[in-house]
Amino acid sequence: MEHFAFTCLSVFSLACAIGVVLSKNAINGAMCLLLCLAGIAGLFVQLHAYLLAFVLVLVYAGAVVALFLFIVMLLDMQGGRAWKFRGFNAVAGMIAAVLLVTGLNLLAVRGRLGAGPPLGHSAGSSLKLYSYQLFTTYLLPVQVMGFLLLISMLGVIVLSRRVTPKEDDK
Amino acid sequence: MTPLQTALAVLLAPLASAVLIALFLRTKGTLASFVSVAAATLIAAGGLWLAFGGARFNASLEWFRIGSFSIELGIKFDDLAALMLSIVGVVGLCVHVFSLGYMHDDTAKARFFGGLSIFMFSMIGIVMADNLFMMFIFWELVGFSSYFLINHWYHKQSAADASKKAFIVNRVGDVGFVLGIILCYWRNGTVNLNELGASHDLVYSRIIPLLLFCGAVGKSAQLPLQVWLPDAMEGPTPVSALIHAATMVAAGIYMLCRIEVLMVPPAAMVIAWVGALTAFYSALCAVTQRDIKKVLAYSTLSQLGYMVAAFGLGSVGASMFHLTTHAFFKALLFLGSGSVIIGCHHEQDIFRMGGLRSRMPVTFWTFTVAVAAISGLPFLAGFFSKDAILVLAYGNNKAVFAVLALTAILTAFYMLRLWKIVFLGKARSDSAGHAHESGISITAPLVLLAVLSAVGGYTVIYHGAFDAVFSHIPEAEGSTHWVVLLTSLVVLGVGAGTSLAFYSTDGNDALESRHPSVFGFLCTLKASFDGAYDYYVEKVQQRLAMALNFIDLVVLSGVIVRGLAGAVEMFGFGVRALHTGRINHYVYWFLGGVVILWAFAAGVL
Amino acid sequence: MTPSLEAYVMLSAALFVIGFLGVLVRKNTLVIYMCLELMLVAATLALVAFSRFNGTEDGDVFVFFILTVAAAEVAVGLAIIVALFRVRQTVQVDQLDSLKH
Repeated sequence: MEHFAFTCLSVFSLACAIGVVLSKNAINGAMCLLLCLAGIAGLFVQLHAYLLAFVLVLVYAGAVVALFLFIVMLLDMQGGRAWKFRGFNAVAGMIAAVLLVTGLNLLAVRGRLGAGPPLGHSAGSSLKLYSYQLFTTYLLPVQVMGFLLLISMLGVIVLSRRVTPKEDDK
Repeated sequence: MTPLQTALAVLLAPLASAVLIALFLRTKGTLASFVSVAAATLIAAGGLWLAFGGARFNASLEWFRIGSFSIELGIKFDDLAALMLSIVGVVGLCVHVFSLGYMHDDTAKARFFGGLSIFMFSMIGIVMADNLFMMFIFWELVGFSSYFLINHWYHKQSAADASKKAFIVNRVGDVGFVLGIILCYWRNGTVNLNELGASHDLVYSRIIPLLLFCGAVGKSAQLPLQVWLPDAMEGPTPVSALIHAATMVAAGIYMLCRIEVLMVPPAAMVIAWVGALTAFYSALCAVTQRDIKKVLAYSTLSQLGYMVAAFGLGSVGASMFHLTTHAFFKALLFLGSGSVIIGCHHEQDIFRMGGLRSRMPVTFWTFTVAVAAISGLPFLAGFFSKDAILVLAYGNNKAVFAVLALTAILTAFYMLRLWKIVFLGKARSDSAGHAHESGISITAPLVLLAVLSAVGGYTVIYHGAFDAVFSHIPEAEGSTHWVVLLTSLVVLGVGAGTSLAFYSTDGNDALESRHPSVFGFLCTLKASFDGAYDYYVEKVQQRLAMALNFIDLVVLSGVIVRGLAGAVEMFGFGVRALHTGRINHYVYWFLGGVVILWAFAAGVL
Repeated sequence: MTPSLEAYVMLSAALFVIGFLGVLVRKNTLVIYMCLELMLVAATLALVAFSRFNGTEDGDVFVFFILTVAAAEVAVGLAIIVALFRVRQTVQVDQLDSLKH
């Protein structure tokens, strides 16, 4: 049963990911990304990381992809040129794919990733445990994240100021 | 003052004078001249005091050391050095005083006297040197001083050319000299003259003395490097008197006497013949000259040949004795000619002089004494020294004796020619007609040198100060004595008489007008060496230089330097092409790097 | 029977590779950016799988950080793209090559 769920979700995710890469339209691509994220959320659920699945959907699918869609529509592109399967680019792409797959699988095979005994009820699925870790072991990264968010907010404000055109600017 | 301090003062006084003139007195000619003359006086006084005071010593200071090789600066003050120092001092003083009058109206007096001081410093350095390295250093300095002084009137192209020629020809000889020094150091382990003299296991080598003789060939203008000395007459007359008659050219002889311990019979034979041939050749060339200083230059060459031949025949004593007397009467001849030149308002052609006997009496009488001395008139200095050489030659090598005797005839011949045409007869030009004796600064040295030329041959006047040298002068006994005496008298008579009878004072060269073929032959003889050198430089050396120039421009600068730069530029072009500005391409590069790292981590690479 | 750890890791690797390919071959800057996000998500999947199979919660907590960073990065990145669009009037990568030699 679990295997079946895993297989379905993984195939679904992979298909949507390929859809992101191959889509002609940017909006289509964003939609595919959304679906892919949904699939990944399902996989998270299967790994008993319920909170994370929820957070993924909320933050990533809800905020990030939405932002993407906003920008895509704002920039009002005239139907992006599709990626055509020809030329040097294609060949290079194929080679790159082969290389990457080989590399990653080499590492996966050589590394000793045995099927460890899965725990019955996974230990890390409660909010209490997460927050305990966040406030003790990972306190510093949390503070740094705070700074990061502050600075990125400032950055966004600065970057999106309207530039007044100067007379001698071309 | 200890002898060492006196010797150092004598050595450094002219250096101090030169530095003072160079730094502060460039425009103050008169003051510079007095400073230089003061230094010369100090040298003369100090030198005579050291020589006749009997101080003989050695002193040495290590200059620098590299591993086991060290160069020392030292003083070897024995009889030979004392003799040379006295000559240099006395003649130097006479020339300095003479220059006060001669260069009185010159515009660059300070430079001239600075050059004289530097020359005195370098010459005394050679005299006092106790090892060959130090001698070489001062040897080169003397060459430089000669260049500097010949070039005094540098805006004259002929003077500039002559000074270059002198320096370059000297350098050619110095190549052999340096090789000889190096070889001597290598084979004998030392170039210190004291150590060489005391050593009992000197390497028997024919090459070393001949190479060292090369230096003397260059400096003392023997065949085939004699071409620079006649041209060096472009310098002012005091320079000719001091450097190119009495002292610098004698430095070669002095050096030979210093390295006597290294001589071997085959080398000595070569040296003797080179000297004899030089003497004969230059005497032949002297017969045709019109310029008063050129006659004296060839005469100097001839007498130097005598000295070198005497050394080659085995006697340091005879050689140095002739050097001493020659210094006196040759300096006198040059200074006398300087007096004549300045009296005739810078006229140097002897066929435009004449009748100066009555107008410049002091010059006339002192010049006569000198001419008599060089021709070998009995009881004057030259007679004794020439006789000694002839005795030596008669005893060792009759062929050389014959050549030297013939040269003596020619010597008398051309000297009397000069004397007659310059001083006797009627004045042949306006400037000669208005000639007058110059001041005391010019005539006083002439008188002093005339006295020395007369009595310098009687070794008793030296009070035994130079016994180590003069006791080796060959004395004749028995039949040799009479043969040589007769020879020298006959030579004098034949040469002088022929000359006086043959030449007339009517303004033409009698040889030229009556025997033009002989005259022409003698002129080509003179020009042949210059012609050969010109040919060599033009055809061989220039072509080699052009080839090297081509290699330098095309191969070294072009192919290698600019080629390398071009290669780097090409590389730069290649790398530049990688900067496309497109993110996709940069990500590919990124992937490439990651793949390499993976391969490395997986052990594939 | 849960799927083995290897399966999860290989799935994550596959998603990562697909995202990387997208970065390589697409010409639209925004789509490239989306593929970048895909790569990040693949990484989070691997992290969660590992933390599940090791029995700790460290991997999960780290995912929080990744999400935060991703959000911040997206904000700033899109701001840059918008500013670039204002100047260049295009977001096609092959026209944005003013760093060319």
